[in-house]
Amino acid sequence: MALTLFRGIHTRPLLPYSSAFSARKHVIFCSMQSTQTETSMKTKQQAPSNFTETARAKAVEKVLKDYEAIIGIETHVQLSTTTKAFCGCAYTYGSQPNSCVCPVCMGLPGALPVLNSKVIKCAVMLGLALNCKLSLSSKFDRKQYFYPDLPKGYQISQFDIPIATNGFIDVDLPLEFGGGHRRFGITRVHMEEDAGKLLHTGSGPYSQVDLNRAGVPLLEIVSEPDMRTGIEAAEYAAELQRVVRYLGVGNGNMQEGSLRCDVNVSIRPIGQLEFGTKVEIKNLNSFSAMSRAIDFEIARQAELYNQGQADEIVQETRLWEEGSQKTFTMRKKEGLADYRYFPEPDLPEVVLTEEYVNGIRESLPELPEMKRRRYEEMGLTMQDILFLANDVNVAEFFDATIAKVPDIKLAANWIMGDIAAYMKNEKLSINEIKLSPQELSELITSIKSGTISGKIGKEILIELMKKGGTVKGLIEEKDLVQIVDPVEIEKIIDKVIANNPKQLEQYRGGKTKLQGFFAGQVMKESKGKANPGLVNKILIEKLNAKS
Amino acid sequence: MGTRALLLLTPAFKSDCNLLNHFTKYGFHQTVRQQEKLFRVGVRKFSVHSSLERPNVARLAETARISLTPQEAEEFAPKIQQVVDWFGQLQDVDLQSIEPAIRPDTEAGSFREDNPEAFDNREAIIAAIPNYEEPYIKVPKVLNKD
Repeated sequence: MALTLFRGIHTRPLLPYSSAFSARKHVIFCSMQSTQTETSMKTKQQAPSNFTETARAKAVEKVLKDYEAIIGIETHVQLSTTTKAFCGCAYTYGSQPNSCVCPVCMGLPGALPVLNSKVIKCAVMLGLALNCKLSLSSKFDRKQYFYPDLPKGYQISQFDIPIATNGFIDVDLPLEFGGGHRRFGITRVHMEEDAGKLLHTGSGPYSQVDLNRAGVPLLEIVSEPDMRTGIEAAEYAAELQRVVRYLGVGNGNMQEGSLRCDVNVSIRPIGQLEFGTKVEIKNLNSFSAMSRAIDFEIARQAELYNQGQADEIVQETRLWEEGSQKTFTMRKKEGLADYRYFPEPDLPEVVLTEEYVNGIRESLPELPEMKRRRYEEMGLTMQDILFLANDVNVAEFFDATIAKVPDIKLAANWIMGDIAAYMKNEKLSINEIKLSPQELSELITSIKSGTISGKIGKEILIELMKKGGTVKGLIEEKDLVQIVDPVEIEKIIDKVIANNPKQLEQYRGGKTKLQGFFAGQVMKESKGKANPGLVNKILIEKLNAKS
Repeated sequence: MGTRALLLLTPAFKSDCNLLNHFTKYGFHQTVRQQEKLFRVGVRKFSVHSSLERPNVARLAETARISLTPQEAEEFAPKIQQVVDWFGQLQDVDLQSIEPAIRPDTEAGSFREDNPEAFDNREAIIAAIPNYEEPYIKVPKVLNKD
């Protein structure tokens, strides 16, 4: 053992802390078990609406006239591998506490870790997706600290040679926040293992530990301090979530803690070159919380500057409290963190071959940014693009729909209109509704060809989403084929006119607005099947015929 | 026990600020940033001194959560110093022409497939937990403390 240790150390005896590491502290996610039920998507899309939101936005806007905010983000992405990073324990969120454990993840003496190859694959995928430079050789290190959720007394992580470095991510800001394209730098991506979960629910002098999550693989993504506003930070995180979901390396669910963001915020007077003191904010359970917490923090720090108390901004970790919409000091004196990193002697170096990397690069799916640019070239509006590309499943549904019927705008309108509304009402995802992309394109074709009217199309759509089936089947079954025969339409119109002599008289007396009434009656009589264009044309002729 | 404690303590040296002072200028950190490039050209940029400073045993013990009596601390100090001196010797070796190795071993690539394998004696693990209350491990309250 002594020998291993020495050999391990001698390869890298010097460990100065770079600024990127010095502020790193163990993350306590006890309060991540939020009761919030909103999905992160919904939260994200909420534009500031109520009074306090607007007031907050204005306050920040004012502050940003004199100060510049510097924001960097550390994100932990839980990988959706079947087994843990270094042992064969299967991990499923919500399992019976302490059921997915073995000597390796429990840190029992003599147990040896063996790296799950899927973790490397996920890391390479994400590294490539984030335009990073990959380290063909990297290694694991032990990050040592004492905490009850960490059975071994150290976390296996990567310290000085992360698997990926020096990348970037592209983001399109939503129009309601001014729009625009941004590129944010990625400092590094590294592989590590998660700690267990601590619960502080009981009132007694005990905390409870569940070690199911101990050893679950994570990728930590450290951004450059490139963000300047809460919105930019939230969009960075949202884009990271999209990338993770597009790649399928994780579910990116913030409520379950599968995507966790810690934000570093500092401000400086505009024109000043040196950075202000940075504060770390934790406990951000949604993108909107992230944006609000940052805005609060910017305003808080600016207030201290304005009052000449800038020295009261100290390097510390603050917790975001959703209830009060404020950040609170969690702990100070971050500088004392001493993780005594050293190379993990139980794991060999991670060597990637060019072939391996190229193989993964070639099999990467279309990523959100590529998709957005493609949709843009197709002529969709930015609003449509952001909606469709936001959810990988929606984007795939859209792509499958337009594969057959290249009417892009119609497909986008159906998905963003009636289908999105139905999904929202029924709280279903696009994969849960019974409608298939093939049937949607069939529906669009049927409307375009005039087989059915747009109104009937909407009715059929509801049916298809609820019960499934085919457009053709439903049209036949319900006898919904549009009436396009002018003779037949004329018959119906004659009938309607005959049945409403009073209105006809009024119409001919100058109340021409009644045309709409007649059109409505004709549609009713034809059970919505009459072609509206023909109806109007023939109706006008008839109504104005014998005056 | 003495030897074991010594081993536990050794890693702590590395982050000792004083120890690092020697290296900050051409630090490892910088070397790492250009890792790949350096690998290719095989140049080591850091220089080292053998006269490393004395370890602060009390602080080391604290970071390793080991309780030492003042007498024990005094006893360990020279032993730890000896280990530090060995490193000093190692670091004095001229490696200018040697390509750095990330790890001492070469058996890279022994990975595991992502196939689940349940440990079949979980009961024994649970039974060995000092304070367990189904289904949680009980620990002293630790909220918001380091």
